Amino acid sequence: MPIKFAGEFEVQRGPEDVYAFLTDPNKFCPLLPEFRGVTVEDPEHFTVQVNVGVSYIKGVASVKLHLAESQRPSRAQYKGQGSVAGGNVSMVATFDLVSVESGTKVAWQGEAQVFGRLTSVSGGLLEPLGKKQVQKLINGLQAALHNNVTESGSAV
Amino acid sequence: MSVDGKGWVGKAVPRKEEDRLLRGRGKFADDIKLRAMLYLRFVRSSYAHANIVSIDTSEADKIPGVICTLTGSEIAAHTQPFIQIAPDPGGKIQDYPIAVSKVRYQGEPVAAVVAVSSGLADDGAEAVQVEYAELDPVVDAEQALTDASILHEQAGTNQVWQGVFEYGDVEKAFREAASVVEIDRMHFHRFSSTPLENNVVIAQWDPKDERIYYWCNNSFPSFAIQFLAAHLSVHIDRIRVQTSDIGGSFGIKITSYPQMAVCALASKKAGGRPVKWVETRSEHMISSAHGNERTFRDTRVALDKSAVITAITSRHIDDCGAYPRYEPLGCVIWSQVFPGVYRFKNARIDFSQAVTNKCPVGPNRGYSRMQHLWFLERVVDICAHELGIPSDEMRLRNYIRPEEFPYTTPNGCVYDSGNYPKMLAVAKDLIGWEAWKKNQSEARKEGRMLGIGIGTTLDSGTNNFGQSQIVNPGAPFSGNSQGANCKLDIYGEVVVAVGSCPQGQGHETTAAQVVADVLNINPDFVTVRTGFDTERNVHTGFSGTYASQFAVSGLSAVHGAAQKLKAEMKRLASFVLESKEEELEFGVGAQGPEIRSKNNGKSINYWGLANIVNVNSAVLPVEMHDVTLNCRYIWRAPFKVPDVKKKYGNLTMTYASQLHIAVVEIDRETFIPKILDYVAVDDCGTVINPPIVEGQVYGATAHGIGAALLETCVYDAVGNMMTSTFSDYIPITAMNMPSVKYGHIETPSPHSYSGAKGMGEGGAAPVHTISAALQDALFDKGIIIDDSFNNPDSLFRALKGEIGRADNIVKVERRA
Repeated sequence: MPIKFAGEFEVQRGPEDVYAFLTDPNKFCPLLPEFRGVTVEDPEHFTVQVNVGVSYIKGVASVKLHLAESQRPSRAQYKGQGSVAGGNVSMVATFDLVSVESGTKVAWQGEAQVFGRLTSVSGGLLEPLGKKQVQKLINGLQAALHNNVTESGSAV
Repeated sequence: MSVDGKGWVGKAVPRKEEDRLLRGRGKFADDIKLRAMLYLRFVRSSYAHANIVSIDTSEADKIPGVICTLTGSEIAAHTQPFIQIAPDPGGKIQDYPIAVSKVRYQGEPVAAVVAVSSGLADDGAEAVQVEYAELDPVVDAEQALTDASILHEQAGTNQVWQGVFEYGDVEKAFREAASVVEIDRMHFHRFSSTPLENNVVIAQWDPKDERIYYWCNNSFPSFAIQFLAAHLSVHIDRIRVQTSDIGGSFGIKITSYPQMAVCALASKKAGGRPVKWVETRSEHMISSAHGNERTFRDTRVALDKSAVITAITSRHIDDCGAYPRYEPLGCVIWSQVFPGVYRFKNARIDFSQAVTNKCPVGPNRGYSRMQHLWFLERVVDICAHELGIPSDEMRLRNYIRPEEFPYTTPNGCVYDSGNYPKMLAVAKDLIGWEAWKKNQSEARKEGRMLGIGIGTTLDSGTNNFGQSQIVNPGAPFSGNSQGANCKLDIYGEVVVAVGSCPQGQGHETTAAQVVADVLNINPDFVTVRTGFDTERNVHTGFSGTYASQFAVSGLSAVHGAAQKLKAEMKRLASFVLESKEEELEFGVGAQGPEIRSKNNGKSINYWGLANIVNVNSAVLPVEMHDVTLNCRYIWRAPFKVPDVKKKYGNLTMTYASQLHIAVVEIDRETFIPKILDYVAVDDCGTVINPPIVEGQVYGATAHGIGAALLETCVYDAVGNMMTSTFSDYIPITAMNMPSVKYGHIETPSPHSYSGAKGMGEGGAAPVHTISAALQDALFDKGIIIDDSFNNPDSLFRALKGEIGRADNIVKVERRA
């Protein structure tokens, strides 16, 4: 089952600032929960490493991401594939930016599919844990962008 | 001779195996440690369906202690694909033990790492980098048949095999029917066996003699070596397989030959050092073998005015997982029990088998037949409920009658003996049928969901391998045979070697009972070799333990070998004791087992006889030179090749039967189905050893109850197996096993020398029985049990109206 997530929030920065932040792996990646490091190959391709753990199963996920779609300053989409704890993960995450009176509304949505041992052994834990981590990321993003306005996010 | 003078067969002789097993002195494959042994670990696919873009083993190779790695490409370059049993298009499938260019199920091996310790092999496996390109997975057999995503490009289709089994005049039966019941879809779920001991292989490809030595727990070695010899391009005599104690198989361990191939090739690459692979439980769950999943579509049932079924038509779709391997045989094996225990003569079953992106399936206790028997029992119960006929009465109207045996089924199988109405009466008596009916009536008034279900089933034993020709007319198999050896060793010990590969069925004990009766001695005087060895045990291409056949094929071979030995002993004793053969009697004297002359009182014990042949042979006259006291006997089943075109012929020698009754109550708040009472009545003909039979009935019952309520292999939409540990796949244990009341009747088989029938698989009777009980509990709520697996979640969903609605599944047309 793919883990789907979506939501939106507003920040007091303009779309250009937000877009620049979201498409800079050196700024964006450290916000990932359990971030370990990032290797940037070029501005659109990078490999990020994060710690992953479901109960006693712990490992390092190494995910190759690329900026698959970029419409400055309104849309950024990342696609990625990687290995995680004896399995694999593929993901897509999209950020749509709309200029609003107070700054920028960020609508985010994504889907992650985990393949292999981690899915098998983590049973029903994977989806809630995945969503929790996504929420952490979004919270981190908001904090980094000095968000202080409204937010609504939900897993689909 | 036993105390009562009636022989040892039929006596509760304590199991000879028990002493060593209960004291922890059994010798299992993982107990074997060889000098310079290496350890193998598989790297397994995380994807269910993907192309392999690259495999990088360089990091693994750098780890100190890693000896070598092995990939599918290397294997493909040095071996032949495994033999395919199916004809084309299924026959075109190329199956290697490690994926070559694409993976077809989660858990499929993509590489192997060999190291000096199992820990280093684990480290090496984790260091192998595999890049995949995802493909659309197919996890449903009906979806697979659309060929939207093809698993095996060489075959060009996901359909492995398709055939129509039609007998009688189906159209006429439907024209004349008083009522017609239509059932849209039913589904038999995927579950597995969970033997205590997982698969273990030790292989050594010895460069000194270019022979391959195996120590393993494969349960059908004579079949495995046929696959391995062709795959590895070696003469079959260069492969030696030895097994010892085996901690259960239930059929699943028949299919370990791919791993056996990898271990041998790894040993060769490692310079001939022995290589050991010990399967983990998770590996067993995701990649050993599961039982077949089957979907039953568009079923139509014709019934006469007495609710006697006159015809059935249906479309059956079998899901064999990613590689067919043994499975095309399953396309016909179900037809051994074509009408189940019922009398209908007209039927048309359109049978297809499809590959899907799931673990390959393999023989599993009740293999291929239990799915069909469950289908028939569902048909009977659904018709009974819809037509308002009590389930016991419905069965009595439709059972094959005792006086009709031997009974020829519409497809030519000959049921040897049976008495299903008597079994029903015994079971009803044991469970207290009338009292439970009364309880049920009162429970319903209180709104409680209490059901009583009957499951009648067959355990067909001793296959006619000619049925493989119904699937593939070019298949080289027919008949069945088994070998045994019985000898007096140098010091006069009676030593027996059987061709079977026991996994807890008590073969050592029952073989000793048979030999003891032939020689008129105590079974304690008979040593039956533990385990199997292709170089020690007499065997044929059918030797192994499967298909409920040891009591017939195995013991017939043992009996034949013992008779040969007895005849030689008589000839020799006649010469030594200077008496005619008819004057000799076998028995036990002061110096142990002996032969006595009733004429002159002389006697000679077994040591004396063995001594003459083995170490004092100069005293033997020339006419005695053919006496070896080492007798090999090959038993052959009296089968003919079936009519392949008509799909007609006798496919099995014996038909043991089981009748179970369950009383189940579904908790109104938790929806947990609780078994309140359970009866298992068995008829396996003449019983060789009552406690062994009873034990196997309990085992099969536990297995079936687990399958019905707890055990299911769940895959998500992309082919991740979600039940790869015992946390999620919940095997039945003593904690959730109800107490079972056991009963038995004996209808001796006219097809075996002893009247015994093969038994032990139990036909998955509890799966049918519990489905029947649940439907009985829920039918008044408009629910039909259309799936063989029912847990609290599915029962909750059924009661919410999400699944199992009778008005969506069943249509009844009443014409009279």
